[in-house]
Amino acid sequence: MAEHRLDCYGEACPIPLLKAEKKMKTLAVGDTLVVLTDHSCAMKNVPDWARKQGYDVDLEETGDGEWEIYIIKNH
Amino acid sequence: MAVGAASKAAVQAGARTRAGSKVKRNQVPYAVAVIAVVAVIGIWLGGQKPVLGLTWIFGILFGFVLQRSRFCFTASLRDPVLTGSTSLTKGVIIAFAVATAGFAAIQYSAVLKGAEKIPGFISPVGIHIAIGATMFGIGMVIAGGCASGTLMRMGEGFAMQWIAIIGFMGGSLWGAHDFGWWSAHFFQNSPAIHLPSVLGWPVAVFGQLLLLGILYWLADRYEQKRTTFLS
Repeated sequence: MAEHRLDCYGEACPIPLLKAEKKMKTLAVGDTLVVLTDHSCAMKNVPDWARKQGYDVDLEETGDGEWEIYIIKNH
Repeated sequence: MAVGAASKAAVQAGARTRAGSKVKRNQVPYAVAVIAVVAVIGIWLGGQKPVLGLTWIFGILFGFVLQRSRFCFTASLRDPVLTGSTSLTKGVIIAFAVATAGFAAIQYSAVLKGAEKIPGFISPVGIHIAIGATMFGIGMVIAGGCASGTLMRMGEGFAMQWIAIIGFMGGSLWGAHDFGWWSAHFFQNSPAIHLPSVLGWPVAVFGQLLLLGILYWLADRYEQKRTTFLS
């Protein structure tokens, strides 16, 4: 049930998605990955990818143009 | 699945307490100011020439929809290779289908009215198209946007696109400057084919829609194959 934070501030798409994909592979089942991004494309394509993989996703806009994407590795 | 539900609830509970750290500015005054400026410019442009007011509004609306939907031509061609996702690819195919139907209507009605020239850009086709498209594709993935995406992201405030537009304008100007040379050496003698004129309207239009439908189905199958996970 560990939480891992992945700071992707300042990175343009597709970098946050590629980093999130790589990081998710290293997580144990039940862990949460929090992707921090300020790129609006990543705000869309990271949750889309995670949902297609079957993970639970939660999206939070924590500031003007800054998002936190919570991905729970449920399998 | 119990693990998933419990951890999601825990995440949401934690997220609510964590999210209070940054204060978000109220953007409504900015929105009102921007709408006022857009209206004033639109009225002034329309006064110069009515079509300018129309293109202004179309441009604004197009950019708005592009930004809100996060539609991306770059991602439509990059994602199938990079992540296996084809949802934007399918979106672009749908856009092509709508444009096919719309332009068929515009061009056909012009022909019925006896127009000499078919409306729309009908340019010489040849290997130069494939080469140029490949070059542009490589560039747009690196620059983070094509033409519409770059403009839209400039508006969103991404500095990278403000730099990318300089390259875009520079390259376009250079190409325009030498267009005569390129044309003479590469595509002056290439045919400019208008498919409905060659194949007949029904075959050209419905054939194109059928082809787009097949591409849509292929994109769907491709994504399913790429993203099946072992559960």
